[in-house]
Amino acid sequence: MVGMGAMIGAGIFVLTGLAAEIAGPAAILVFGLNGVVTTFTALSYAELASAIPQSGGGYAFVKEVFAPASSFVMGWMLWFAYTIAGALYAIGFASNFVEFLSLFGVHVPETARLLGVTIPVAEIGFAVGIVGLLAALNAVSTSASGGAETAVTLVKIAILLVFAGFGAFAAEPGEFTPFFPAGELSVVPAMGLTFIAFEGYDLIATVTEEVENPRKNIPRAIFLSLAATIVIYLLVVYVAIGTLGAERLGAAGETAIAQAAESFMPAVPLLGSGASLIAFGAVFSTVSALNAVVLASSRVAFAMGRERQLPPDFGRLHSKYGTPFRAVLVSAGIMAVSVVGLPIQQVGNLSSLFFLLSFVVVNASVIRLRRERPNVTRPFEIPLYPAPPVLGILLNLVIAGYFLVTDPVTWGLAVAWLAFGGGVYLFLERRKDQL
Amino acid sequence: MSTGSLDVVVAGAGRVGLRTVRILREYGHSVTVVERDRDRCEEISDEYLATIVEGDATHPDTLRQANLDDADVLAALTGNQGANLGICVAGTRIAEGELRTVARIEDEGAESYREIVDDVVFPEELGAVGAANAAIGGDVRAFEEVAGDLRLLEVRVQEGAPAAGKTLSSVSLPRGSLVVSDEVADGIPRPEMELRPGHTYIIAAEPAVADEVLNLMQG
Repeated sequence: MVGMGAMIGAGIFVLTGLAAEIAGPAAILVFGLNGVVTTFTALSYAELASAIPQSGGGYAFVKEVFAPASSFVMGWMLWFAYTIAGALYAIGFASNFVEFLSLFGVHVPETARLLGVTIPVAEIGFAVGIVGLLAALNAVSTSASGGAETAVTLVKIAILLVFAGFGAFAAEPGEFTPFFPAGELSVVPAMGLTFIAFEGYDLIATVTEEVENPRKNIPRAIFLSLAATIVIYLLVVYVAIGTLGAERLGAAGETAIAQAAESFMPAVPLLGSGASLIAFGAVFSTVSALNAVVLASSRVAFAMGRERQLPPDFGRLHSKYGTPFRAVLVSAGIMAVSVVGLPIQQVGNLSSLFFLLSFVVVNASVIRLRRERPNVTRPFEIPLYPAPPVLGILLNLVIAGYFLVTDPVTWGLAVAWLAFGGGVYLFLERRKDQL
Repeated sequence: MSTGSLDVVVAGAGRVGLRTVRILREYGHSVTVVERDRDRCEEISDEYLATIVEGDATHPDTLRQANLDDADVLAALTGNQGANLGICVAGTRIAEGELRTVARIEDEGAESYREIVDDVVFPEELGAVGAANAAIGGDVRAFEEVAGDLRLLEVRVQEGAPAAGKTLSSVSLPRGSLVVSDEVADGIPRPEMELRPGHTYIIAAEPAVADEVLNLMQG
């Protein structure tokens, strides 16, 4: 449920508008195709999770299959992908929270001018605030994360189904023509941006040890949550485009779903308008997704610290709180900096890019494990091997490569982060040799 | 020891090997098993304990698949002493990095085997201690014999570990664990006792929290 918890909800609330802005009504195709592409990688995750009983997700698998240098790169990319995803959810939370407040007539001063530049202070303040709050919770308590996850996920699904249910009557197929206002190729960059909405099954693989009969249930959980996510996403995107139209959806950006809801939701007792229910859903989803990635990113950093691939402090529990304190704080720090320093599209692109690249490595791990260690027991085997992992690698690379055309800045940032990682790795290796 | 989590290869997951794997997992290490018997492999796979290489560990091609290059320890625990020594020797040759080797043996000539492997285990000896304890039926029991759901661990506190230099009262040990005694065993520790680096403490822990305890004590 954790995987679905992170996957469902936040991604769709935050990214639908952004995808519509780029690709128009074809946004629905964007989400569908992304579902297909991730299915290949999901197969790889299922095979690896069944063969390698380690919690820690992609990083643990790659560590098992590749030499230490490669597993460092994988951990480094995945850690960043999660922290940046956190930044995305934090921004998404903030704008939806402002939207939610305004539905109740509370208007926050949205922007301020500083040094001649207009800055959305309220949103950045809320975003940094929520990162700080959740980081503090996860830093001092190990129970902040688990437990309520299942209930939270069900609430999110329920809200999305309510949205889809009411919207289905209001949606007009006419809004879908022209289908490709920005050309067929605009689908690819939109896929890149929204890819992050499907990152959840890496999370399922990070908590494998806590699942009953994991050998059977992990692959099942991966496929079930992927299928459910694709279905719900398609419904919601259909309704959103069908009611508000792609253009207005795009203009609404990360609050698109909430604004679409305003156009058709009936009044609900207690809450006033039905739209506030959806806006509440958006706020709620982004918080729970943010919590999940704070947890996930700190777990990756913690695992790397345990393997001495980050300074050992990252791999230590706090003596008072019993949490991976340093890992949580540093991850949250990176999130906060990204929130302040980067625009939302950049954040989405960057996170997606790193997920794409790390999924390439995961697919490659399947192939390498099969080749070099054929005797390893694989309770789940990918059907039609080797086609799915090979397709997974190719498609992920195509989407990742397309960023070079549309958003070279993202690649620049990515290369900078990887170069910084290379420096950290060399430094740690040298220090190990001295000991 | 105590460089975070270890990568351990266990060759032979019979009665001794399987229990060893379970305990290693409780302490938070990652384990790869090499086991010949298919049914046994299924069983371990269901328990979700380790990556499993199905095959004969005495065959180099099989052993190679256990990824010895990245492993820290190779423990050969099959019921055959000769095979265990052979596996350790082959493993040392295959591995590119440094590899500690542990072999299970069948007789008491332990010292002479140390030239070939780093450590030996003689499970029958431990079993005999337990059998003797049970036969006497007294209240005094050997350390190794604490079975069931509680582990008694002798843990040396490492320099720079989260709990090093802290007093017991300022460290929150996980629920289900208890510091029982200092190395010198001169009394039950008080809350103000300091956990001094380099000193050894006896800690009782439930299996589920053993790895957390070790993380706090050893970093």
